[in-house]
Amino acid sequence: MASQIPITARAQPAAASSAALRGKKRPGSLAVSAAQQATGSSSSSKKKKGQLTATPTIQTQITGVELVAEVKAMGTVDCGPIAITESTAKPPPFKDPTFMHSGIGGAAAGKKNRTWKNLKQILALERTLPWKLNDPNYYSIDAPPSLKPPKKYSDISGLPANYTDPQTKLRFTSSEEFSYIRLLPTDVVTGYLALRKATCIVP
Amino acid sequence: MASKQESVYQIFSFQDCKSSPDPIFELPAQCLTPKPVPIVIDNGSFQTRAGWAAPAAEFDSPLLLFRSVAARSRGAARSETQIGNDIPNLEPLRWLLKSQFDRNVAVNFEIQELMFDYVFTHLGISSEGSVAHPIVLTEAPCNPLHCRQMMSELLFECYRVPYVSYGVDSLYSFYHNNTRRKLQPPHTGIILSSGYHCSHILPVINGRFDAVNCKRVNVAGSQAASYLQRLLQLKYPGHLAAITLSRVEELLHEHSYTAVDYHEELEKWRSPEFYEREVHRMQLPFSGKLPGGCVSVEERQERRAQQLRRLQEINARRREEKLLQDQERLDRLMAVQELLEDGLLDQFHKSLVELNMDSAEELQSYINKLQLAVEQGRQKLLHSDGTEGKPEVSELEQPMDEGDGVALMDPDFSEDTLPEKPANVVQPVFNVAEYHQLFVGTERLRCPEILFQPSPTGEDQMGLMETLQYVLARYTPEQQEALVSNVFLTGGNMQYPGMKERVERELLAMRPFQSHFKVTIASRPTLDAWYGARDWALEHPLSGEGGAAEGWISRQEYEEKGGEYLSEHCASNRPFILNGHQRNDLKSSSGNILYYYINVI
Repeated sequence: MASQIPITARAQPAAASSAALRGKKRPGSLAVSAAQQATGSSSSSKKKKGQLTATPTIQTQITGVELVAEVKAMGTVDCGPIAITESTAKPPPFKDPTFMHSGIGGAAAGKKNRTWKNLKQILALERTLPWKLNDPNYYSIDAPPSLKPPKKYSDISGLPANYTDPQTKLRFTSSEEFSYIRLLPTDVVTGYLALRKATCIVP
Repeated sequence: MASKQESVYQIFSFQDCKSSPDPIFELPAQCLTPKPVPIVIDNGSFQTRAGWAAPAAEFDSPLLLFRSVAARSRGAARSETQIGNDIPNLEPLRWLLKSQFDRNVAVNFEIQELMFDYVFTHLGISSEGSVAHPIVLTEAPCNPLHCRQMMSELLFECYRVPYVSYGVDSLYSFYHNNTRRKLQPPHTGIILSSGYHCSHILPVINGRFDAVNCKRVNVAGSQAASYLQRLLQLKYPGHLAAITLSRVEELLHEHSYTAVDYHEELEKWRSPEFYEREVHRMQLPFSGKLPGGCVSVEERQERRAQQLRRLQEINARRREEKLLQDQERLDRLMAVQELLEDGLLDQFHKSLVELNMDSAEELQSYINKLQLAVEQGRQKLLHSDGTEGKPEVSELEQPMDEGDGVALMDPDFSEDTLPEKPANVVQPVFNVAEYHQLFVGTERLRCPEILFQPSPTGEDQMGLMETLQYVLARYTPEQQEALVSNVFLTGGNMQYPGMKERVERELLAMRPFQSHFKVTIASRPTLDAWYGARDWALEHPLSGEGGAAEGWISRQEYEEKGGEYLSEHCASNRPFILNGHQRNDLKSSSGNILYYYINVI
């Protein structure tokens, strides 16, 4: 019997605070049977816990009831394990409990389309709408590429760089920096180039 | 003679602030009667700020201020999502952190729902089935229609909010500050707003946001933070794990500044005395990890060679086994083929069935393939026996000693340099405290600079001031004068010291000689958007009869006109207008026809 406890303990939700709302959905029978089995001091919280263990399967109901008795016998404080089939936190009351997002495509697209669209996809869709030439939309207000040539700064120190190392393609300002660059491991070199988005894909 | 000057080292330590959970506030009675008071939510990609829009003094600041992140794990702990200030320290949960934002636009509405739940729960709302208060919400400039539709759907259908108003956060901040400075409406000016993911240039003409000419630069706080993080991690590869994003953000907030003249400032940093004075040494907590470890270079090489040899042996053995297997199979197939040649057709067919093959041709093709494989296997074995598999030691990389790296920066820099790599295995003595210090020198300057010059990060977009010049060029000179006389800086990323002076200097360079301009910065750059939205809500109350006032979208309007409907007001986006099309893909979940209408600015 003791070995059953860890397994069934999982079916027993923790806080009695969740009892309030959930209680109305649970069949009263379990509470009655739990009450019958309860010996001695049966706090209302324990009874509610008995209610809460009512998962759809009868199996778990029975084991839950047994557990209630077991727990009373053992006198352990059961708080912590979360029910697999239900979350402990009750949904906030101000929400509509039947609400389903339409964007995630839960109903429409079935099982396939579960993820939210990311910005790229949304923008791609939006560009297909018949915009006029000057209408502002998220894509059109992107700033254009720069018209001025970029200034070159050293990858190591950030000072203005006049020189580039032909071997590693890193920029540097002085001979000390150059010696430092030549001693760098390749992953650091690639890191600096990647920071500047200057890594060459072709080896 | 010995100089008495003590070089003043500026040693700082990371504060690593922990956030404390927000309390659940009691719903004040005056927020429900006589009319439900609007809730103002500034939905930012870095921080969400929420509070009541009531005239009383106790509601003068946002009640809730939290990072817009949710720590969501998969599987069993899915329901234990922590949001915002419930997470004391972001770093251990960095991989679980999710935000509803993609750049500055809300795209993931499940997480947005979690955020709203958090906000409403902590504001004390406990009404059944709906949130009875109107909501003022901020959105991105030129927010995509799909996103607005999903947001409206979430608010109207899940929370059954009676009224919703959308506005652009920078515009709210602009109006708030203009009223504080007692400028007369209608306001004209140009807003430079820099947040966490994007920076915007928003011109406002005569009280209306000129959306056609606004521009967005995709460089802001988060890019600066990741740039700084990579720079420090590349400079100090031994402290890779200690340079966390939270610490880097702390560096940006506390220790960075914007140079008024970037090149001049850099020249100052060349001199060693200036460097010593100005470099911020960040002391990392002691970690017990020493450079190079206790193993010398040669030992590490030996170990690697050994591992390589072992791997090669394993591979060779595997190849031999495969070769044997192939040979066996080949023999079997050849035997079957011989059966065919000998004319024992029944046995042949039976064996074919056993081997799961259909015909003699298939058998032949299998035999050919196997013969090829066996040949190749034999060749490889011959080759591997021949060459002794040189260990690829040339690929081995030794991490740089910290002292050498820093000393090379400034040769006159006097500090305890780490000794060269020891030839023998004797453990060198060095200054442990120095090893655990990060020297943040020019990085203090370079990272805020990427807002003006995005090229060090590889972005080829224009910087902020160049974009401003581009935007101004689209107006007539009179309009330019009017716009430039009220340049307004807002947004969290504008809080570096020296930002205002820098903008003034660059504006001086690009405006005509002796023309007039004025630059102001928001009084509280991060919070002013919330204050502005609150002021707007107080100035535009809803009339009791249920008719929507200007700027508010009522549930009825949402149901009739669909999710993308936007009610304009002084601080809102411009609505998108099409002529009478029903778009199937943008249908709101209530399935109504969407109305679009034409608007010309």
